[in-house]
Amino acid sequence: MSTIHPKITEVLTHTFKVPVAEIHPGSTMDSLEMDSLAVAEFAVLIRETAGGVRDLDQLPKNATLADITRFIDPAADGGARVGGGPAMSNAR
Amino acid sequence: MNRPAVAVTGLGMITPVGNDTESTWEGVCAGVSPARTVAELEGCAIDFACVVDGIDLDAAIGGRASFRMGKYVKLAVLAAREAVADAGLDPAGWESTRVAVVVGTSSGGSASLTEQAVVMDRLGAGATSPSGILLTIPNMPAAEIAIQLRATGPSMAPCTACSSGVTALSVARDLLVTGQCDIAIAGATESIVYPVAMAGFARSGAGARKDGDPAGICRPFAADRAGLVMGEGAAVMVLERTEDARARGAAPRALLAGTGATTDAHHPISPHPSGAVAQAAVEAALRDAGWAAEDVEHVNAHGTATPVNDAAEAALIARAFPHRPPVTAPKGVLGHCMGAAGAIEAGLTVLTLQRGVVPPIANLDAPAPEFDIACVTKQPLRQPIRRAVSHSFGFGGHNAVIALQRP
Repeated sequence: MSTIHPKITEVLTHTFKVPVAEIHPGSTMDSLEMDSLAVAEFAVLIRETAGGVRDLDQLPKNATLADITRFIDPAADGGARVGGGPAMSNAR
Repeated sequence: MNRPAVAVTGLGMITPVGNDTESTWEGVCAGVSPARTVAELEGCAIDFACVVDGIDLDAAIGGRASFRMGKYVKLAVLAAREAVADAGLDPAGWESTRVAVVVGTSSGGSASLTEQAVVMDRLGAGATSPSGILLTIPNMPAAEIAIQLRATGPSMAPCTACSSGVTALSVARDLLVTGQCDIAIAGATESIVYPVAMAGFARSGAGARKDGDPAGICRPFAADRAGLVMGEGAAVMVLERTEDARARGAAPRALLAGTGATTDAHHPISPHPSGAVAQAAVEAALRDAGWAAEDVEHVNAHGTATPVNDAAEAALIARAFPHRPPVTAPKGVLGHCMGAAGAIEAGLTVLTLQRGVVPPIANLDAPAPEFDIACVTKQPLRQPIRRAVSHSFGFGGHNAVIALQRP
């Protein structure tokens, strides 16, 4: 599956002003130059889309946008991979 | 006291009439207020204000940073960038430890605090922003400017309500003359046009109520003045010791000749009706500058259009400056930009000195008959001005006056 949930693209472009051209299914928060505070903010905004119950903290730090898409909308691609590295959202 | 002279070498502004210094100057000289009904204030007792318009602030700030900034921070960062560029300075090349940032605000990010309180109440703590504190605290304009411009010298956020801008310029001047920095980025910012602030503002009695077209409501020094109109914006200056500025080939826009500050210690909102303590701030600024009262050729008044302020200030001006220098009051156009007002008005005073033009007071045919002051009305007054003062009197009784002169 190589799509990106439209909410992810919307949040990245609208709130974080990430150029659309930089947003790919394989992009990670690091590759998009999102610092820890930006990632935490991103997680809150995406959590709303996931019904407020699935916390992105459960995703590995190197999760791609495709991983995040599957996580917030498991029906899209048969469920998300969970685990495999430090948590994505980290406090300073 | 023998101390180094301090020059204004850069100026940046973003206000309800313009998103930079030039457009602000043109708007203020046109003498027409942009005050209008604001959709977000629907249902408030006061649903109009002067707001910064016609700019995508997030796009102007740039990626991955604007989300963590309240509007008051964004305005300050944009004004600071303009000021530094105007000074011909390149942050990539400056000695960053010698650059100070002194940018004040009155209410900081109270707008964002209110938004977050609503989110918490409706959706729970988990839905609140991880940037919530950053969106709120009053030092963030100074901190974000320091981050953006790589300024690692002293930084701080003076908070003296509506005189915060002049206080910031005064503190920055002191940092320069005591050798604590070589460049000071100084000014103030404010953005509190949101329902909770506007409701409190209406209930305090200081705000004018709608009595026709919002553009005509703020009438400084008029007999029928009805209170202040809320504004928002930011102004930032680059200050340097004059000798340093000239050594690098920079042409000062103006010299910061002196400052004076006093505190009414009388009442949280009402100025002392005698104006004696505020006048002491004027006299302190003149002493600091080494001027006599008759040296002052122009007064940029606080002029809020509240009955009490304008009566006390007009009497003060008449007593302190019996030679009747021309008086303007930019709040007629801009509204009261609160913590930013003093910095914006000091910036306008700099331009008056440079250009020999005093902007008119909007919505004023003539001052109230009992005011013995020379208000500039209808058209800009064109005449050379060598020395001028700008008054700022804040809630809490904080009086701050700045004396500026042509280089």
